[in-house]
Amino acid sequence: MNAALHPASHRPRSRLRRLIAPLVVPQVFDFWASRLHPTWSWERPLARIVGRSEASADAVTLLLAPNRNWAGRRHEPARAGQHLMIGARIDGALVSRSYSLSEAGRADGRIAITVKAIEGGKLSRHLHRDARVGDVLELGPAFGEMTLPARVDGRWLFVAAGSGITPLMAMTRQLAAQGMPVPLTLLYWARRREELCFVEELRAIAAAHPNFRVRFLLTRQEPRAADEDAGRIDASLLDAHIDDLAARQVYACGPGGFVANARGLIEARAQAFAAEAFTPPPRAVEDTGTVAVTLARSGRTLELARGESLLTALEAQGLKLNSGCRMGLCNTCSCGKSSGATRHLHTGDVHAEPVSSLRLCVNSATSDLVLDL
Amino acid sequence: MTASKRNRALTPTELDRFGAELDALRARTVAQIGRVDADYIRRVVAVVRYTGLLGRLLLMVGAIGGAFVAWLFWPGVILGTALLALSKILENMEVGHNVMHGQYDWMRDPHLDGKTYEWDIVATGDNWRKTHNYMHHTWTNVRGMDDDIGYGLLRLFPEQRWRPFYLLQPFIAVVFALLFEWGVAIQELRVGRWFTGKTKHRAMWRKFVPVGRKMGKQMLKDYVLFPALAGPFFLPVLLGNVVANVIRNLWTYTVIFCGHFTADAEVFPKESVRNESRGHWYLRQLRGSANLSGGKWMDLMTGNLSHQIEHHFYPDLPARRYAAMAVEVREICGRYGQHYDTGSLPRQFGQVMWRILRHAWPSRPRARRPLVRAEAVEAQG
Repeated sequence: MNAALHPASHRPRSRLRRLIAPLVVPQVFDFWASRLHPTWSWERPLARIVGRSEASADAVTLLLAPNRNWAGRRHEPARAGQHLMIGARIDGALVSRSYSLSEAGRADGRIAITVKAIEGGKLSRHLHRDARVGDVLELGPAFGEMTLPARVDGRWLFVAAGSGITPLMAMTRQLAAQGMPVPLTLLYWARRREELCFVEELRAIAAAHPNFRVRFLLTRQEPRAADEDAGRIDASLLDAHIDDLAARQVYACGPGGFVANARGLIEARAQAFAAEAFTPPPRAVEDTGTVAVTLARSGRTLELARGESLLTALEAQGLKLNSGCRMGLCNTCSCGKSSGATRHLHTGDVHAEPVSSLRLCVNSATSDLVLDL
Repeated sequence: MTASKRNRALTPTELDRFGAELDALRARTVAQIGRVDADYIRRVVAVVRYTGLLGRLLLMVGAIGGAFVAWLFWPGVILGTALLALSKILENMEVGHNVMHGQYDWMRDPHLDGKTYEWDIVATGDNWRKTHNYMHHTWTNVRGMDDDIGYGLLRLFPEQRWRPFYLLQPFIAVVFALLFEWGVAIQELRVGRWFTGKTKHRAMWRKFVPVGRKMGKQMLKDYVLFPALAGPFFLPVLLGNVVANVIRNLWTYTVIFCGHFTADAEVFPKESVRNESRGHWYLRQLRGSANLSGGKWMDLMTGNLSHQIEHHFYPDLPARRYAAMAVEVREICGRYGQHYDTGSLPRQFGQVMWRILRHAWPSRPRARRPLVRAEAVEAQG
């Protein structure tokens, strides 16, 4: 929607490119360049799928070869633990969501993402079922703060559930590549055994590095192997698998509810705790009624419900908006707000001051609004 | 108001139903938009690129090759110019105009983004988005609000006040057609207000800067860079570019004038848009627009502005949908006793030329025929 927010343009250019830029119409350049090679482009970061393998019963790992326009190829290598926007054309329209890198910092410059097919998830189902080697995807820059420090020390614990394994797997791989310099335990929850990803690889890492321990925790099946156990995350299960929690630095990743539980159980007891949730925590709807939202650029005024996110509410009115992660991370859906008050759905905070970038996916209207749309 | 006797005034209830039926048609079409529309616009973009490249190559072959092998000259130059003109016409009509309406925004392709697309004419996309997408489409044929009525230059409706200047109009209209892209380029600048001192020099300059930059870019490309590639044989290439741009100008002028200035087209006073209902809005769009018959090729070459009526009803829907919608639109209009103005290009353009000639001379509006029956009752009472 807002061209200024396209990540593609925030890329430093070579002197030659700067010199000829006034003579180049990007859309004409891209047309001819893409005839020669599918990912050649003037400034759009694109990637070609060069590998595809099943990661579990309902997840697939895609190996991507990004073009030179992707920030990670040039000046800011993606780090294990980060996410990036992935976009694919589905029924003619570009659909973008953010995915964690399951492997970063490869010598060949390629990146891997592991995608779990989600019920009703447009892009995840497309990537899981239809994406083939040779397909071209749009890429965003890598982002995210939950990464390993440059010099890793201390003792570590990774707590993952479901797709939350992906960023933690990337960090586990990175540590394994460094010879596992610190003690690391990974507790990995899934409903059933066949939903677990990277099992063989994790066991191989564990066999090769005495410093690394992995435990698979199933919530809907009984344990069979020595490194398996059953049950939802709770204090006793944690104590059974980790005896020095107070000395551990903990990273947790998973659905909102899981991360909230992990935070409650661990944050106060561990040495350090950081977490990322890939779905927002369950929210209590308290605001009711409707407000008038004026779209300044298109000159329309819409009646929107107070309780739900502006993105959902606007989409329900038939607007096609840019959106990405839909949880307030990636900024794709943000637009200016010149007046009115909004409530942040995760924090509950009310903001009344005008801003240049309001994230529509995680804010609801609490008063009449004027948006720069 | 030059209303046709073929229209009947609707009652307010009928007007609401008329609007509701057209809204329902819109909703049915929106539900179908998807991959075929995306594939189509990409195909047209490819045709624009390939014909453009081939046209420019043939121009070079004619200009450079013709200097050594004489028989190459005329076929190369003529064919090259024709292909370049075709490419520019398609780029302006089916791609530029329609993309800038936001018809393909749902694709979320930055190269087909209605808010940032920049087309291959001297007018800037930003100014067009304002004068055309917003002013012309919202206030179609409303006097004083829609600048497209004669482009501030021509008198096409008897409601416009006559001045002796308009006697020159048959001549001015021809010059305007030849230079149409330049007319569009300066439309938003409102040069007239500057001449009469209503706009200050500084403000005028600020508005001109982006326009001047775009003009410079276009001229550099068509009249300097590409001809320069032919080295000492630049002259035929330069002329080919000039002619291609003029052909495109004449064609777009013809299509656009046929869309709004046929014999039955009406203009409206400002009062008519006060508290305008949805049905009333549709009715005004219908009475101010006219279609061109001619089938698939006409649709493609006009960027589907051959379905000007459907375009004015649904400016943000992919234009390739208009032909199918037209069948229903025409049927709906028929049921409500509304004239659906369509005809062949010669017929419609003949009517436009008659308007240009007739209203160069003083003319008086016919008696106003109301759109809505309730108005008629009030007017008589």
